[in-house]
Amino acid sequence: MSIKRLWSRIGRWPRIGIIALACFGLIAVGRLYFGTAQPHVNLPPEQLWHAGGFPITNTMLASWFTIVVLGVLCYFATRRMELVPRGLQNVMEALVEGLANFVDSVAGKENGRKFFPVLATIFIFVLANAWLSMLPGFMSIGLVHEAEGHTAIVPFFRGANTDVNVPLALALVSFVFVEYWGFKANGFRSYASKFVNVSRSVGGVKKLLRGRFKQGVGGMLGGIIDIFVGFVEFISELIRVVSFTFRLFGNMTAGEILIFSLIFLLPWMAVIPFYGLELFLGFIQALIFCGLSLVFVVMAVSSHSEH
Amino acid sequence: MEAESMKLLAAAIAIGAGALGPGLGIGMLGYGAMQALGRNPEARGPIMTNMILAIAFCEAIAIYALIVSIMLIFIA
Repeated sequence: MSIKRLWSRIGRWPRIGIIALACFGLIAVGRLYFGTAQPHVNLPPEQLWHAGGFPITNTMLASWFTIVVLGVLCYFATRRMELVPRGLQNVMEALVEGLANFVDSVAGKENGRKFFPVLATIFIFVLANAWLSMLPGFMSIGLVHEAEGHTAIVPFFRGANTDVNVPLALALVSFVFVEYWGFKANGFRSYASKFVNVSRSVGGVKKLLRGRFKQGVGGMLGGIIDIFVGFVEFISELIRVVSFTFRLFGNMTAGEILIFSLIFLLPWMAVIPFYGLELFLGFIQALIFCGLSLVFVVMAVSSHSEH
Repeated sequence: MEAESMKLLAAAIAIGAGALGPGLGIGMLGYGAMQALGRNPEARGPIMTNMILAIAFCEAIAIYALIVSIMLIFIA
């Protein structure tokens, strides 16, 4: 019988199985007999050139690319704005409205309106960085040179979130944002007394000077505990910067290394589900950065209602 | 033992032991969230939001361990 008749006689799933087996066999043969070396992963971002004493790295180029893409998208979305949105304006309005609902659901309507710009910027920037680094060309187009016996590549574009400076900058922005709203909503003394709580110890010293010995000592001991607790609170605020930075940096770098290694391990096949995972993780990390900043700022703003 | 083999061993132990705690933690969070969802399916929004938030905190610890492991292999 001819091949065409054989092919039309077997069912759908055996056909899919045979095609998959053929692809897998082809790639396995390529891997075994035409293999390439494993790529060398370089953690610090590679510098491409120096501009007036300031090094320009490939992650910086990628973040500029993100900025340009976001600017162009927003320009075309708002060019001819209509009351009933269609097309690109509809997509951007859906994004902004979804974010606004998210922020309002945690922070309440009036606080949500005040917190929205910084939080939405953080979310959209992290998301755009993460998803644009999935484009073909990132990490693959660059200068090839020989280094230590194996060929190494200096890519022209590398995902901006894999440079530790970008998550650090965003974490510092989030920290300043939280502290600013904490001071603004509660007043300087009230918010600062969360960290430097000397009221009880000062009261204890006053009682001691008036002659009430037992209450004075009790107040001073309680005051020492208060000062210690305030200090620990302050440290935990600072640690949030470190935690934000390494959460985003670690997730994005681990994803990039994973995809980079898998592409050379079993080309074209093994990496497909991990691309999906990386897209999902990029979205989740953006949501978590924005959501955690939101929760911390809500906690800072409402912190002194019970004191 | 030489430094090279010690580094590889340390990288493996770092991520192996470091992923134990967060794995258990995330599992417990999911358990709590499923129970709460089963009792009160209407509160799905706040439950899911808070669960995702708490999972992010938990996962950050695993990411710290992963960073130590990556640093051992690629930098040290």
